[in-house]
Amino acid sequence: MLTLNAARHTSLLVVPFDGSYPVSGQFLVPANLNCWFTRARRKFRTFQLKTGFWESIKTGYYREFTTSGRKRLLKNSTTQVIDSPSIDEDDDSLPQEFVLVENTELDGTIEQIIFSSGGDIDVYDLQALCDKVGWPRRPLSKLAAALKNSYMVASLHSIRKSPGSGSEENEKKKLIGMARATSDHAFNATIWDVLVDPSYQGQGLGKALVEKLIRALLQRDIGNITLFADSQVVEFYRNLGFEPDPEGIKGMFWYPKY
Amino acid sequence: MDMAVTRVAVRMKIQMQLKKQPMKGFQSTYMELRWIRRRSTKTSQIDRKLLTPAMRPPFPIYFSTDPKHADLDRLQQLYADCNHSCYRFPNYVGSHGRVESVDIHKLRVALSHSAVLVSVFCKPHHIVDDDGEGHFTSSADSSKTIMGVTDFLQSVTPVSPYDGHLVGFGRAISDCGLTASIYDVMVIPSLRRLGIGRMIVKKIVRMLTNRDIYDIAALCTENERLFLKACGFGGDILGSTTMMYTRSTSSMIREGESDVRRIGQKLLLVPPLKGPFKSSRTIM
Repeated sequence: MLTLNAARHTSLLVVPFDGSYPVSGQFLVPANLNCWFTRARRKFRTFQLKTGFWESIKTGYYREFTTSGRKRLLKNSTTQVIDSPSIDEDDDSLPQEFVLVENTELDGTIEQIIFSSGGDIDVYDLQALCDKVGWPRRPLSKLAAALKNSYMVASLHSIRKSPGSGSEENEKKKLIGMARATSDHAFNATIWDVLVDPSYQGQGLGKALVEKLIRALLQRDIGNITLFADSQVVEFYRNLGFEPDPEGIKGMFWYPKY
Repeated sequence: MDMAVTRVAVRMKIQMQLKKQPMKGFQSTYMELRWIRRRSTKTSQIDRKLLTPAMRPPFPIYFSTDPKHADLDRLQQLYADCNHSCYRFPNYVGSHGRVESVDIHKLRVALSHSAVLVSVFCKPHHIVDDDGEGHFTSSADSSKTIMGVTDFLQSVTPVSPYDGHLVGFGRAISDCGLTASIYDVMVIPSLRRLGIGRMIVKKIVRMLTNRDIYDIAALCTENERLFLKACGFGGDILGSTTMMYTRSTSSMIREGESDVRRIGQKLLLVPPLKGPFKSSRTIM
């Protein structure tokens, strides 16, 4: 199943399709317009309150919209649409949000760690988390733009519920982990910014984040998954199936020359 | 609830600020004419008495960053001419190391999600068919023989994306905020080593830095490393290692439970879905 971000992009592709258009000489939504449309959609989404009820409504809406859109496409157009294989995967799909870990402490407090691939991250929370991990600060507007235009943003939130009280009252939700990937939705993807709160490290949370990202990417046949690992985490990624410099492929970065 | 509403309001404010900022940079298209002087090759030195530099004038090539100019069929042909595959580990067909042709539908998706596209066009009669035996066609001959009317017209009309031949390409993927990666930079073999590839990369980098994106990465094989170095790229100053996902088998898979995807030559293993688990550590 497509993540929310991917669903958004798919629905964008649905819009400009014409039943019978010549393959050559025409071009679909250019990249610039794509960024722009994404922005418009995001604005719509921020109006929705973040409660479980709304989340379920949203998921239902997007799934309905995209599957019906895809079915319409397959009927009309002569050319095959890119993401037709993923129609079969709805039952084996990655839900938008699910409980990854559940712990009950001695005093009865329940702590749940919720995995979410919706990308609904507050940039302030994210900046606080980056500070905790020890990363340099980056401008908030750039962070927000990067999150918005990433192919997928996987996040972990911890919810603590005190025992006995009502379900929504004494809930504390905290961002404890994030990973994001940029992609061209067809061939290449790069994973950036994988981080987990230091007090929650060592439990397999980072591994779960990255594995979910890889799974989501491979479900869409996006096979060139790269990342740039600091020296202390090379082993971590090796255990996840990443190989350093395979067949001599290296990554290089641009240096400004003044 | 109050906090949630405030947070939403702040996020909306940031997003509105983003709209005011010139994010339109990726929307602006750019077209430029450049002149390339053909570098003297070994064979031309032999014929030097016949071909003085004056008889090999520079020829124009046309750079465009407009996505509408990247025609898919011509692009597919360009990928084939340059023997370039979108997969890092491609399938090879035939015996001459030719890669399989790029899937045009996937290519369309990829292009529509690329933040920067650069296409390079050139008049067809400037593309020298240098088969290594020193036989120069077209531009050299045309200056010696009497040109026909059509040749003349072709040589005076300016090169444009619509009648020029697509000879080079490059694209970049970005999150339009922090990072970007450059992929698929290519120039047809007969026009290599003239600085066109370097101009493509510089154009892409320029477009990205104009939008305040300075973290630009590019993957390369051993052969391409010198090219990227000449374009101003180097190893990461933070010393990070480039890693790619290549897991194809796992000793832990049981029959019938593995899910693999064919990506070019490799069969990549999809990590299995794991249900909720109890953490092994008590949380502080």
